[in-house]
Amino acid sequence: MTKSTSETKKVPTYCFQCVSGPDLIKVEVEDGVAVRIEPNLNICGQHPGQGTPCVKAYGLVQKTYNPNRVQQPMKRTNPKKGRDEDPGFVPISWDEALDTVAAKMKEIRAKGLKDNSGYPRLAVSFGGGGTPTRFMGSFPAVLAAWGPADLGFGAGQGVKCYHSEHLYGELWQRAFTLEVDSPYCEYVINCGKNVDASGGATGVRRGAEARRRGLKRVMVEPHLSVTGAMSAEWVPIKAKTDAAFLFAVIHRIIKERDWAEVCDVRFLKEDTTSPYLVGPNGYYMREPSTEKPLIWDRADGQAKPFDANITDPALDGSFKVTGLELGADEEAWRHDGVEVKPAFQVLLDHMEEYTPDWAEAECDVPAETIRRVGDEFVAHARVGEMIEIEGEMLPLRPVGVALGKSVNNGPGGYHAVWARTLLSVLVGAIEVPGSNLGTKVRLNRPANNKHLSAVSSRDGIMDFPFNDTSKEGWSSQPRIRNGYNSLVPLSSSSPWAPALGPAHLPWLFQKKAPDNWPRPTLPDMWICYRTNPAISSWNAPEVAERIAEFPFTLSFAYTRDETNHMADIVLPEATDLESLQLSRIGGTGSGEQFWKHQGWMIRQPAVEPVVNAMDMTDIATEICKRVGILGEYNMAINKGAAGMKLVNNQFDYSLDGDVAYGVEEIWDRVAKAASHDLSNGEEVHDLAWFKENGYMLRDFAQREWYLYPYMKERGIRFELPYQERIKRHGVQLANRLHEVGVEWWDGQLEDYDPLPKYESFPDIWTNYVREMGKEPDDYPFWALTARSMQYAWGANVGIPLIYEVAENVAGHSGIVMNMQSAQKMGINQGDPVVIESATGITHGNAVLRHGIRPDTVLMIGQFDHWATPFAKDLNLPSLNSVTDIALSLTDGTGSGSDIVRVKISKDLRLRRTGS
Amino acid sequence: MNDQSSKRGDKRFGMVIDLNSCVGCQTCTIACKHANDTPPGVQWRRVIDVELGTFPNVERLFMVTGCQHCAEPSCVPVCPTGATKQRADGLVTMDYDLCIGCGYCAVACPYQARTIAHEQNWYYGQPTAQETQVAHDDRIGVANKCTFCIDKVDSGLAAGLTPGVDPDATPACANACIATAIHFGDFNDPDSNVSQLSNEDNSVQMHAELGNDPQVKYLYGLPNSMPGRERTADDVDEWALQDPANPLVGKVQIFWDMRAAMNFILGGMSTGLIITAWLSYLMGGISEGALVGVNVVAGVGMAAGLFFVFLEIARKLRFLNVLLRPQTSWMTRETYVVALFYPTLLLDLLWPNGFLHLLLVIEAAAFLYCQARILPAGKGIPAWRAPLMPWMLIATGLLEGTGLLAISATLHPAMHSGAPLAAGMGGALAVINAILWRNYISNAARNGIGPLARGALGAINLPLRLIGHALPLLGFAAFLGLWPTQPLVSTLAGLGAVVGGIMWKVTVITKASHQQGFNLSKVPQRGSGTRAAPARMGTAA
Repeated sequence: MTKSTSETKKVPTYCFQCVSGPDLIKVEVEDGVAVRIEPNLNICGQHPGQGTPCVKAYGLVQKTYNPNRVQQPMKRTNPKKGRDEDPGFVPISWDEALDTVAAKMKEIRAKGLKDNSGYPRLAVSFGGGGTPTRFMGSFPAVLAAWGPADLGFGAGQGVKCYHSEHLYGELWQRAFTLEVDSPYCEYVINCGKNVDASGGATGVRRGAEARRRGLKRVMVEPHLSVTGAMSAEWVPIKAKTDAAFLFAVIHRIIKERDWAEVCDVRFLKEDTTSPYLVGPNGYYMREPSTEKPLIWDRADGQAKPFDANITDPALDGSFKVTGLELGADEEAWRHDGVEVKPAFQVLLDHMEEYTPDWAEAECDVPAETIRRVGDEFVAHARVGEMIEIEGEMLPLRPVGVALGKSVNNGPGGYHAVWARTLLSVLVGAIEVPGSNLGTKVRLNRPANNKHLSAVSSRDGIMDFPFNDTSKEGWSSQPRIRNGYNSLVPLSSSSPWAPALGPAHLPWLFQKKAPDNWPRPTLPDMWICYRTNPAISSWNAPEVAERIAEFPFTLSFAYTRDETNHMADIVLPEATDLESLQLSRIGGTGSGEQFWKHQGWMIRQPAVEPVVNAMDMTDIATEICKRVGILGEYNMAINKGAAGMKLVNNQFDYSLDGDVAYGVEEIWDRVAKAASHDLSNGEEVHDLAWFKENGYMLRDFAQREWYLYPYMKERGIRFELPYQERIKRHGVQLANRLHEVGVEWWDGQLEDYDPLPKYESFPDIWTNYVREMGKEPDDYPFWALTARSMQYAWGANVGIPLIYEVAENVAGHSGIVMNMQSAQKMGINQGDPVVIESATGITHGNAVLRHGIRPDTVLMIGQFDHWATPFAKDLNLPSLNSVTDIALSLTDGTGSGSDIVRVKISKDLRLRRTGS
Repeated sequence: MNDQSSKRGDKRFGMVIDLNSCVGCQTCTIACKHANDTPPGVQWRRVIDVELGTFPNVERLFMVTGCQHCAEPSCVPVCPTGATKQRADGLVTMDYDLCIGCGYCAVACPYQARTIAHEQNWYYGQPTAQETQVAHDDRIGVANKCTFCIDKVDSGLAAGLTPGVDPDATPACANACIATAIHFGDFNDPDSNVSQLSNEDNSVQMHAELGNDPQVKYLYGLPNSMPGRERTADDVDEWALQDPANPLVGKVQIFWDMRAAMNFILGGMSTGLIITAWLSYLMGGISEGALVGVNVVAGVGMAAGLFFVFLEIARKLRFLNVLLRPQTSWMTRETYVVALFYPTLLLDLLWPNGFLHLLLVIEAAAFLYCQARILPAGKGIPAWRAPLMPWMLIATGLLEGTGLLAISATLHPAMHSGAPLAAGMGGALAVINAILWRNYISNAARNGIGPLARGALGAINLPLRLIGHALPLLGFAAFLGLWPTQPLVSTLAGLGAVVGGIMWKVTVITKASHQQGFNLSKVPQRGSGTRAAPARMGTAA
């Protein structure tokens, strides 16, 4: 019944609105109007999600035709900035806008790229998860051409990301994030990882396939999420006590059960540091001559270097050994016949106190449940079994442990991530078929091959690019305002590291400068792209105040929003369906993007820009031309800043010196270089070919999903359970900071335990209420948040179609609370309520459900908008309005958790507005 | 039958939905909205988010809903125009050009599958280029529902493709589903995906007890990880069913409002008046002249009721299409009765005689009978399909007729003489009505009427019994036995009868008319506490 049309076409492109992408789509275009989105089923056989995108992709049509879009470049006329100030935006031409931006940038270059505090004068913030790079065209080349810029002003990173998992995951298994190997996995303990909402189309499909095959998932979380719903069992745990639960599961396995019987002993002995002997000062006992860690060989009763021929490495017991301990700051101890224990024995001693009965009191999960989960875990681990993958026999260990946000970051994040990895290691279920797998690397290099990054250190474990904490190497001058290189050794020194530092510190320090630290300065210019920190940060209202203090802000803007409310120049970019870019596809990536192919795909204009917008690549080129850095910009593209090197020893598609190329020409060169590289020159395709075909693939071996075979080949052990390097860096970092008089990071330094000790993590937030001068008992609920597949990452809160379908999923219309708790308080379904923490307030309508603990309330997604059209009229609450930014809520990796103590009361301001 | 339809004739298309796969993401919902260009708020495919039990024993599941393309669709026979049909391959179709937008199919559907958009709405309040491009004027003011993407299925079949296997012959929701939870195919083919996936031991139909034989089957158990279980009483208790925000709970239907109720009120009253006046005339209560006068007044009343119905239908210019389905639709049949009634009334007015009086009474009775069948065929409304509903409508119409006779006896001298007979009939009918109502309301829960609807019914229970039953009974009895010279007593009784009739019809049609909620008799065994899947120490099969 569709109208007959003069011209209909289906344009292949991609949706990468969230970190679980990409998903390939087709845009149906009638008479030049994008009318529908559909899956690109051409790639059904290769895409792990069989060519289907998730719900968000279908919002792209309304995103394109949103009448609230910024229609043309604008400049601010009201010099005062603030939530209550009308920016007085007036339309200007692209020329005027770009000239204004370029003038500012030239002014900065004239002054010097760094200010008196040593901080870059230019700051740039991108939205989370790296997805903005899939839309910003050649803009990364602008930054490369520019020089130092501060990419550390966070938009919620650290509290909204898997922070501890990122850092420790890369350290232990080259895993920026982890997933279970769904096609083979049989049993998963999932502590709050809402994969069926956040895992994208591929995660959902592979998860559903796994359930149909027989996967059993036990979901441990305070509220019954979408993922909890799809699990065989929901264990309603008290918020932020997951580490206690996991510690007790470990206790069950190694203390109550016979570890020698249920664990993968061969794996522990050969492939982990479990047998490394730990000296009296907590460092490995080493062979004095080679400084190699020692292992006790029971076969002949001798300690030998870890890489010697050892017949029977001891995992337990204690032994008298002569050797060398290397401590922090080159401290060393020579021991002669001192009592030492294998790391595994140290672990056995360490876990003694963490019994299931202890955990029951801490996390409100019956001890018997914990014991049973531990028993199920080892029963499904299939220790000793092998499976053939592409002709090669690999261990099959079909058990996994997944951790969600606020479990794997913030205080307690290290503990949970360590416990998770240890559980995997105990049964050899790490980086083998069926087990926990790393997805990709961000901190280690090369970025597009995690296996090549797995290089052995001299201790036989994976090397890691720690930020130096030695006397000579440590820098008291942070590179950028979040101080990642000075404060967080684990954040490494890679290009991604700035984003993985303590992303909230710039906002915090801007409010109150820390002692004995370079004076926090405002960036002369701040560029904001595909991010809205005034909504997505913890304590978003206060971050909005800080943003208002910035002297010059350039916002790339789709619609008006809370962050560009403070902008000086607003530029509308050609958006998802209007612009051009090639992007890598396949291999392994975030979420369950485990492919058996890899290659390139195109995002291309399905329609002409609906507003007076420019493609990001053209904007980037124009800025560089006007600033006078076009040569450097072209050079950066040649070196791969647009995703692919344009020149190497096989081909040369490079851009010339100072020529300003158009968007089509730049991506045509990328297309040729990419296809040349992918096919070894056998199939070189231009841009027109990609526009027609959408993507180009070649095979990618499934073996590449698994790191274990590579580690085995290279004789590298997993660095579990004992964290000697962490301990050493902790001591050294403490020394360095204290040497310059910094004591405000002392709390964070407590995380540097070689075996993490549990503390009652919820108390951190309880105590924070006291710190704010309030009484914790007045704030009896734990407020949490959860992902929404419909909204997460999508910048689509202003799209009514998304709102309409999201309303079908419970909780999207307000504040979820337990039915019985609400009844006791006289709160009825749909009643307007106020949520107050010690520092913030938010409003919404009560959504009463049974699937949430009586002591918990939940606010899905991130709302509380006050400027974004459509969204600002939704009266939806946000956890970000009641959380606070504070050092006492920050862990050693520089992250926090989405949790806060709150009180609830009926909202007397409003009449009931929703059902 | 042409080749195409005969080829379809041996097929039975349907869907299999896997409850252990669906994550409630709404990708099918939104893909359907794209593929079918549905306007704001209209969702042919919708996934509801359901909770069973109470903390700490809770299960949450997602239920894909939409047109079930029933083998015995209750929407098809009621449709007065033939706009809704069932094809040989089971697809229940809509012809937007025939439909008058009466909403009868919508109230007849126990699956909340149908909607009527009365005006073109825009997502941003103003049309966008895309919405203008895909707007379907032909779908305004007519019934809409999931078509199983019929055009795609047909063009796919014509191209030799297999629906459910080839995406180009498969509904958009099944293609778009990211969890492989939605399967489409031919249940008549034992080798098809849907036949292979579902069997009597692993799947349930929603509301199988209603007899529609829906062609959507829900897989509820995975033997190896999450086996199925029978639903228990405490999954969705009375308290949960009182929560209007609970997606399992049907909302008050919005298709038939006071305009429709007015037809039942005025039609029932008028026909009841004609019948009881005729009886009074036969027994010498009123004169022939008075009878003719009464008939004319009743005819006007009935016409007024029909005019209200005319106001209710969305596509007024097509109202004559209502005549197209006499084979099955009581609404069509009612219209035909009307077409006979008014000529008879005119003739009876011009040439009053016994035959025409009788004919008119038969037609009035037929009209009342049609009404008594129309409402219960609204199978999607538990309060309407309750077994006693036809009898209640007839008995109430007659009681109201006696009530009006009693009132008219006071108002008009020509009717004075009919008062005792009216009172006699009225008293008896009041008793019958009281018994019927008592039965209806005390069996309401058993007949599937939910607590919200029962609440609406309960609110009028006492007033109805006092005003609609006790007052007529006692009033008429008192008039006959104690104060035969006090017409005010019988008038009051008659007023009670009329008011009572209006009261319950308005309530049943517009207030207690909650749609059938969603429900599955078997669900996955998963969740917390007692609902958790069993412990499993071995390996999966």
